[in-house]
Amino acid sequence: MRTASGKRPWTFYMLAAFFTLFVLFLYGPMTVIYVLSFQGPNGGLTFPMNGFSTQWFNELVQPGRSGDIAGSFRRSLLLAAIVTVLTVLICVAAGLGFRRRFRGAAVLFYLVIASLVMPGIFVGLGISLGFQLMDMQTDWLVSGLGAQLTWTLPFGLLVMFAVIGRFNRSYEEAARDLGASAWQRMREVTLPILLPGIIGVGLFGFTLSYDEFARTVLTAGSENTLPLEIWAMTTNVTSPALFAVGTVTTVISFFVIVIGLGSIALIQRRRGHNVASH
Amino acid sequence: MSATIRNGQIEVVAVTKTYHPGAPPAVDNLDLRIDHGSYCCLLGPSGCGKTTILRMIAGHETPTEGDILIGGRNVTNLPPVERGTAMMFQSYALFPHRSVLDNVAFALKMRGVSRADRNARARELLQKVHLEAFANRLPAQLSGGQQQRVALARALITNPRVLLLDEPLSALDEYLRLRMRGELRRVQRELGITFIHVTHTQLEAIAVADTVVVMAQGKIEQAASARDIFLAPRNAYVTRFIGGQNVISGAVERVSGATATAVTGTGARIELPVAELRVQPGEQIFGSLRRDRIRVRRQDAGPPPRDLINALSGEVHAIENQGSYVKVTIDAGDGEEFVANVLDEDFFLDPIDIGGRVVATWAARDVRLLEDRRSQPSGAVVAAA
Repeated sequence: MRTASGKRPWTFYMLAAFFTLFVLFLYGPMTVIYVLSFQGPNGGLTFPMNGFSTQWFNELVQPGRSGDIAGSFRRSLLLAAIVTVLTVLICVAAGLGFRRRFRGAAVLFYLVIASLVMPGIFVGLGISLGFQLMDMQTDWLVSGLGAQLTWTLPFGLLVMFAVIGRFNRSYEEAARDLGASAWQRMREVTLPILLPGIIGVGLFGFTLSYDEFARTVLTAGSENTLPLEIWAMTTNVTSPALFAVGTVTTVISFFVIVIGLGSIALIQRRRGHNVASH
Repeated sequence: MSATIRNGQIEVVAVTKTYHPGAPPAVDNLDLRIDHGSYCCLLGPSGCGKTTILRMIAGHETPTEGDILIGGRNVTNLPPVERGTAMMFQSYALFPHRSVLDNVAFALKMRGVSRADRNARARELLQKVHLEAFANRLPAQLSGGQQQRVALARALITNPRVLLLDEPLSALDEYLRLRMRGELRRVQRELGITFIHVTHTQLEAIAVADTVVVMAQGKIEQAASARDIFLAPRNAYVTRFIGGQNVISGAVERVSGATATAVTGTGARIELPVAELRVQPGEQIFGSLRRDRIRVRRQDAGPPPRDLINALSGEVHAIENQGSYVKVTIDAGDGEEFVANVLDEDFFLDPIDIGGRVVATWAARDVRLLEDRRSQPSGAVVAAA
């Protein structure tokens, strides 16, 4: 913004400086990690760089050298995939269901949302205690999955509400008017129109699960997910392999997000939202 | 299809629709008959219940009480697809993820018609609305007018006997609106089916419809031919809403033959035809007066001409040039809007400015009596009587 004289007010420079600091704070540490993950064979955990190599990435795929990175990565991907599918199925169904104002809808909604407010570590603790009481072993695919869903479902439902809030119900009425049955309406009209939002819900489910720590740490049982494995590494691995893990997971998250947002953008473009309507 | 199925006569019988218990009904014990093959406009301000009626005929809303009959058959509890109706939605509700062709063919796809057959039929309809070249476009890539034609083609593909149009022209700009309303009328004539068109624009209703139904607060104020609605509104509400005529009113002073002389709130004397109707002296009666039958002249200096009958004096409040005539709004001091539509050539012979004092005169034959009545004599009436 410029004033009439063309000069920017002093607040512009203040806010610009603040924003620069924020960006540095946000990306600076991560950049350091990416650079250090290419540390030379004799380099340490800090600068200076002692040459350049990809040996720390090689170390990741060899079991034993720096924990079970490959195994935990596989577990995390599988868990995130299951969480994504369940989150999408449950949140889409719940979001559509909440459009009817049934008795107790508000109470039910607050019950769901309340788990966002509870400290995650205690949710995990509670679940693991519950498993102990029932004399069951905690396992990443059972108690871990449940613990993560307490986090992704309320989030997914909130996103779904936003998605459905913008959905014009006259599309469904038009379909009904043209003779579509309830199932045909859902398949031919409602779901395709909501698809970009549904992909967004899935994206949320995936990244929330893939990154989850607080709820998973006490419920994963004997085998670690990736965040737990990395956490363990920070205490006992003293090589740049730790940084290599950071670089690899960032690249994977980045691709998931690019694929997700890219497909949303593609759908929107196919529907001609960027084409002038006159 | 047999003749009875093709019959698009609509009967709305004692229909009430209440959305919230305790709240005033959206539609209140309403009866309406629309002949097969006629073009009917439901006209009224927003919230008058016109869209609710339309949606109940379409089957998207169920009456709280009463019945809906189409072609003599009670359809109150039938789903839309079994009614032989089709609806064109406000802002069209074209499916954004489907091509124009798929949108038009949608109803046939739902009925299990093969791709080749339904596409052929859809292309035929697109040709009718001159959009065959746009078959593979998406709705967002069309202009508002083109979208409207796609919506029309999509609604007509099942050969409905009744087409229900919810504010079909409100999403268009003025130029297209005028063109498309003529087009709608032409299509209706060509197909010979019943059209029910909801609008809040008076001139739109009068321009396209055979029958205009004026509604207010869930009830019908008047249902009549477009010409009668304009020329012979029943009561003050319809007269004010349609706007082609002024409402004039006064307390009856005397009755001679079929004519009553009444004194207005500002003391002017007007004549109203009462025919055989018995009116009491002191009773407040209302009339409608055609705006295009009023002569307006400057009031010369001095007091207003009290002795004139069928005349009203006041200050010019607004002047709007409408091209072929000039709309002169006169503030007569009684709160009722009084408008004279003066022929442009007469007006510009001796133009009047805002704030000028004028006298408006008219002939008694251009006044029609309205149904409104108020027996309670007001203070002004007592003084005049």
